[in-house]
Amino acid sequence: MSPLVLFASRVLSVSRRLVRTAASGLSPLLTPTPPGLPWVLAAGKKNLTDLPVLNEDELEEQFVRGSGPGGQATNKTSNCVVLKHIPTGIVVKCHQTRSVDINRKRAREIMREKLDVEYKGELSEILVRKKESVLRKQEKRRKVNEHLERKRLFKETLSEE
Amino acid sequence: MTQGLVYLAMWRRTLSTNHRCLGCRGGGLLKRVWSAHSRLVSGAPALPADRITALQAADLWRTRFEEEGVTEPEESSRYIIAHVLGAKTMESVEPERLTEHLSRGKTEQVWQLCTRRLSRMPVQYVIEEWDFRDLTLKLRPPVFIPRPETEELVELVLTDLRRKSGPGVGSESGQTCVEVGCGSGAISLSLLKSLPQLRVFALDRSQDAVDLTGENASRLGLRDRLQIYQADVMKNAESVLSLCGSASALVSNPPYLFSEDMASLEPEIYRYEDPAALDGGEDGLNVIKQILTLAPLVLSDQG
Repeated sequence: MSPLVLFASRVLSVSRRLVRTAASGLSPLLTPTPPGLPWVLAAGKKNLTDLPVLNEDELEEQFVRGSGPGGQATNKTSNCVVLKHIPTGIVVKCHQTRSVDINRKRAREIMREKLDVEYKGELSEILVRKKESVLRKQEKRRKVNEHLERKRLFKETLSEE
Repeated sequence: MTQGLVYLAMWRRTLSTNHRCLGCRGGGLLKRVWSAHSRLVSGAPALPADRITALQAADLWRTRFEEEGVTEPEESSRYIIAHVLGAKTMESVEPERLTEHLSRGKTEQVWQLCTRRLSRMPVQYVIEEWDFRDLTLKLRPPVFIPRPETEELVELVLTDLRRKSGPGVGSESGQTCVEVGCGSGAISLSLLKSLPQLRVFALDRSQDAVDLTGENASRLGLRDRLQIYQADVMKNAESVLSLCGSASALVSNPPYLFSEDMASLEPEIYRYEDPAALDGGEDGLNVIKQILTLAPLVLSDQG
């Protein structure tokens, strides 16, 4: 059986046990993964495959869903996710959507990017791409200005005739 | 011996608080309560004479909600105003737009929607939509609002269905799933979106829910792989069995509250959501037990 399937079934067996007990707000999916099986996330839209892998043991998530009775008995709309990486102290806050699930996933994507910058510094592909994009924009602006300048000069010569 | 995979949302808590409240029983009474509340609502601030910004409006209404004891005052005002600006959350709006003056039309919209929230109408019903995982669903009372915890249930089901279909060419095709109590369609539609080969039978005892699930399915382009039926598993079990063949999985977020706890629900729930979607009987297990009884008959050998 592939490691990913083995991992999924372990998460499931942990989750099944937890689902039956009254939830105190702790999500079954966020229980510490068994040692040796790091949580590997899909790389996301940027298609970067060498971002650091997140270890759920090192993450602390604030349950902004609130304390107290959960499930059907309440209607809580707060679903902002605050994720903290304990070893570095980096905190990511995500409230991009109204889905807790999606906010959690995005928070982890952002965390991976931040950790990449943290660990690799200038060499981080995130920073490299940002720099490239800034340079590209500057180049574009320069070219536009050049073009406008040429137009202006041309109009001047025309009006002189 | 069938090895059924039955997924039930089992978060149950006994509510020991003793709040006196308006008890609502039955859908007809619910409808009368909504209109009565919209007439009774005083305390809506007047429309501002000058133009205001989104942030100012959010602040103004947060204060109003706090004064009226409306729960989640800050979140409520922010979600409503973000919605009027065409966004899902305030945090996802470009900062410049938050300090721009709102047009007259948008200001009136904010006022109209926030006034609804004053009568404790859940935000999801006020703006008539909400997100569930990667879907945006249309919502309206009294159809039950999907709870965030149910997103995790869907995740579990997906993991299992993917694992079962795993090895083998084209084995993901031909899987079917039955959902009992589809409500707005959250669970069924999430599964359909994530598994392009899946087919789903969705049931609900409420015609409102059946209609809303159909609407959401059409809007999301998932109508073709979904069959929706109005059926009550408690009352017409045989018809349920005749409708659904041998499924790979049965999924449900059924009513599970203890009947005695129905009286201590917060106004957002007892005034607007269908009590039948919540009440699970004396021990909360009426519907759950019935589902488990039907499960072996609905599921395939590997289900």
